[in-house]
Amino acid sequence: MLTYIVRRLVTAALILLGASFLVYLLTAASGDPLAELRASNAPNREQLMEARSNLLDLDTPAPIRYFKWLAGASQCLIPFAGTCDLGRNTANQPITDALGHALIQTLTLVTAATVLAILVGITLGIITALRQYSTLDYGVTFMAFLFFSLPIFWVAVLLKEFGAIGFNNFLRNPEIPLPAAIGIGAVLGIVAAIVAGGEPKRRVLTGGIVFAVVTAVLIYFSVTLWFKTPGLGPVVIAIAGVGLAYAVTLLTAGLKNRKALQSALLAVGAGVVAYFAIQPLLNQATFLMIVLLAVATVLVGVAIGYFVGGYDRGQSMRAAGMTSFLVAFLILLDRFMQAWPTYFDNSRVRGRPIATIGATTPNIEGDFWVLSLDSFTHLILPTSALILISLAGYTRFTRASMLEIMNMDYIRTARAKGLSERTVVMRHAFRNALIPIATIVAFDIGALIGGAVITERVFSVRGMGFLFFDGIEHVDPNPVMGVFVCVAITAMAFNLIADLAYSALDPRVRVKA
Amino acid sequence: MRFGRISKAVGVAAVAALALSACAGNTGTTPTSAAAGKQGGNATVVEVNAFSSFNQGSADGNSDINGNISYITRSGFYYVDDKLNIVHNDKFGKYEKVSDDPLTVKYTVNEGVKWSDGEAIDAGDLLLSWAANSGYYDDADADAKTGTTYFTTAADTSGLNLTEFPEIGDDGRSITLKYAKPFADWEIAFDMDMPAHVVAKKGGLADEKALIDLLKKTPRGDSKAPKVNAELKKVADFWNSGFDSKTLPSDPSLYLSSGPYIVKSIEQDASMTLVKNKDYTWGPEAHLDEITIRYIGSAPAAVQALKNGEADIIAPQPSADTLEQLKALESQGVTTESYGELAYDHLDLNFSGPFKDKKVREAFMKTVPRQDIVDKIVKKLDPNSKPLDSELFLPSQAKYADAVKNNGSANYASVDIAGAKELLAGATPEIKIMYNKDNPNRVDAFSLIRESAAKAGFKIVDGGLGASDWSGTLGDGSYDATIFGWINSGVGVSGVPQIFKSTGGSNFNGFKSAEADKLMDELIVTTDKGKQDELTAQIDKLIWDEAYGVPLFQTVGVAAISDRFTGVKSSPGQRGVWWNVWDWQVK
Repeated sequence: MLTYIVRRLVTAALILLGASFLVYLLTAASGDPLAELRASNAPNREQLMEARSNLLDLDTPAPIRYFKWLAGASQCLIPFAGTCDLGRNTANQPITDALGHALIQTLTLVTAATVLAILVGITLGIITALRQYSTLDYGVTFMAFLFFSLPIFWVAVLLKEFGAIGFNNFLRNPEIPLPAAIGIGAVLGIVAAIVAGGEPKRRVLTGGIVFAVVTAVLIYFSVTLWFKTPGLGPVVIAIAGVGLAYAVTLLTAGLKNRKALQSALLAVGAGVVAYFAIQPLLNQATFLMIVLLAVATVLVGVAIGYFVGGYDRGQSMRAAGMTSFLVAFLILLDRFMQAWPTYFDNSRVRGRPIATIGATTPNIEGDFWVLSLDSFTHLILPTSALILISLAGYTRFTRASMLEIMNMDYIRTARAKGLSERTVVMRHAFRNALIPIATIVAFDIGALIGGAVITERVFSVRGMGFLFFDGIEHVDPNPVMGVFVCVAITAMAFNLIADLAYSALDPRVRVKA
Repeated sequence: MRFGRISKAVGVAAVAALALSACAGNTGTTPTSAAAGKQGGNATVVEVNAFSSFNQGSADGNSDINGNISYITRSGFYYVDDKLNIVHNDKFGKYEKVSDDPLTVKYTVNEGVKWSDGEAIDAGDLLLSWAANSGYYDDADADAKTGTTYFTTAADTSGLNLTEFPEIGDDGRSITLKYAKPFADWEIAFDMDMPAHVVAKKGGLADEKALIDLLKKTPRGDSKAPKVNAELKKVADFWNSGFDSKTLPSDPSLYLSSGPYIVKSIEQDASMTLVKNKDYTWGPEAHLDEITIRYIGSAPAAVQALKNGEADIIAPQPSADTLEQLKALESQGVTTESYGELAYDHLDLNFSGPFKDKKVREAFMKTVPRQDIVDKIVKKLDPNSKPLDSELFLPSQAKYADAVKNNGSANYASVDIAGAKELLAGATPEIKIMYNKDNPNRVDAFSLIRESAAKAGFKIVDGGLGASDWSGTLGDGSYDATIFGWINSGVGVSGVPQIFKSTGGSNFNGFKSAEADKLMDELIVTTDKGKQDELTAQIDKLIWDEAYGVPLFQTVGVAAISDRFTGVKSSPGQRGVWWNVWDWQVK
């Protein structure tokens, strides 16, 4: 195993060296850095060309410049020496600084999108696999391919037009006309009927209930101008919590396990009590506090499960832990909604909360809740755009993998020995279906850093993609190399991790040392 | 289902919650937030590039955005208005021509004018500006690769390089520049630059006085006998790159202001915020309390940001689409202004090859459909645009109308195929036209010219090259005619010989006229504005008479302004909408 890793690392280093040399030469040969000045009629044209040549060291041939760059870059290998030198860009900023900033920008942009796309994609993939060739399956497949084939700049422009500008206009006077409420209710009702599956009677019933509930809620929102002062309140949290408790128990332990259900319901009760207890504390929230509270919540849930016990203590603990986490999330959501009017009326926001560009409102001031809301309103559009287009891959891949597993002999055996369908799907099939997914997820994380170039441009976020383009535009290899090194190292590292994870997850695959 | 005790407890809890919520309502307590920002009086302006340096005069820092920031955070002796006139700022100080022979100009800063750290602006600052922008100390020889260039300024040093070491006025607030020979652009040759006391300290000297002494005792650089002055080098190195920063430096002396605004915060590569400089009284008074600048590279994104209220003033790269989107915002109260910029596209004919014969050049010029080109390319951006009729004047300049009347451009106002055929007398010369084929405007212009010229019998060869290749072939004789762009300096005449003198560095087509050369020699030593205009008009006529080629159109700039503001006005000059930042007001 160790020999294998070492061998892989050595190959990776060699590939990196060779590739970096190639990329450097290609960038240097990609154009004429003085092109713009050659056509200039400035009286000091020569002087400017001289300065530019000095800045980019154009008198040195590109291959030799590469080794100069390499000498600086190799100092990055010495840990903690702080001598890392990747050169400077044309604005005379050290590339290491520029990279650090760009990396954060890009990660902020793509992390949430990638995580959500993975979660939603895998879920949809499994559901469609279990309902192969149903209306739902065809519907999801159609939508996934539709979004997959849309160009992101176009999706982004549409999202900005309707999701930001249109929605902000709506927020000025958030009244939903009755026909709109009924229309939205009808659409969601139909979707629910399709998703529900089963007998036609059951479908119609589900669709009807969803239609009625959604329409009623929308009318309620409109009458109370809910969008101006949104909130859930403890009642909604309690009701939704009980629903979640049942759902979580269903998935983790099965409703037959009464102890698990009791633990989950208890967790909801604790959550509702905590809702009141914790409000004053939340007013002084910081990010760290939220994280600690989340951990504490899960621990409390697990403890509830432990004390309730039952014949399978683990299941109770899991059900209660997950339920209390979800209820805590609802409480958090409610608190964000409470902060909404303050954010909405902030003089910097000027009543138009959903943003089309950037990552924050410049100069915004406020507490944790307002600042976090500000990040959300800025990230929601690019995140949605990225999720829409990357959903297809995960959905299709999971569906295929799940279908393959579901047709395996051991699944038939599991069914034959009388296991419940829940156990078959969740325990036997799902886990094994995830193995190949682990590989793509690892690859995708590797590609994540360099992957959102167009999205960055449309949403005016200056991340890795911008740095790369800027370098190409100025025919300046330094920024390009910086981006290249980062992307290449992550890609290779995650490739290795994917291979190792595969062998760890799948007993059929063994790493030969 | 049979509910156990625990489930009942949950039920009780839920009921309790219901009861409690009846008291609390579902809005919860209103959370307290920090005080909201200042009401009103702020504008958000969109720039294409990100800020990178507080010293826009250095070669690295010389970009639009850095220049704009410098313009609103640093006062000077003059500014350029939207009619391209030089406006003296007498509240800052005065400068005047003391004598014509030798040309002597005296600059005096008013008393009470100071940097935002309280340090008075005085002769030391003026001296540093002169040292940095004159190249006085440089002894570099570009060909031999010897010697040192101390200050890598982006400015043209040819004017100030003519001056001797300035004389510092007795009151320590003035310097007097004496030129070795008259210099036409003396009025814009010199202005305030960086704070000398900061450059001195950061450059390793004790104080501003030490810097003045250092500058005094260092002789003029001699490229024949180069000698490195380590002390000066250190100072210059700091001037060259010490002010480069993409974030707000922790040391406030690096972003001192002497103008109406001062930088308050910078968010790297995203935005920066400026607030009013409290001390500032030495110039037009600003109205807005705060200006935020956001960097948006793509034009559609800027338009949508304006539509969504995230930006108030934008000046995106104009295209037909952008303009259409902006027009759609008129209902929202957005004003869109199209204006001619300093840059203009032109067709140049080589004075060699098939065009050696003046008649062929004239014939070709007669076939160029200038009105058509304007109609097809720029009309959709600016309905008022007309073909440009002068190589040296722009329509916003006072002298333009007069010069155009007499320069002979009227002969080429419309396409004259018959006239061209007559001049060609049956010849069918093969003409290779070089242009940037990655620029759609140039491609369109080429197609229109090709179509029209073919009618007169010219055989046109498409010599279009890619974006990074075309400029390298300028002047190498691989083509007969070329379409590309130049930038009129707007103010000053130093740019004229660069293009049109027979030895000019940007004279790519081999235009040579002894008479014009003589006039240009005279022009660059003429210090009187009226006489300069006169000479320039004469040169303009000679250029047309010699069938140099034709100017096509001014490129169009676009600015869109939210209805929250009055007083915002775009200028063709370098500073765009920023030129009258002090007039911006909230309605």
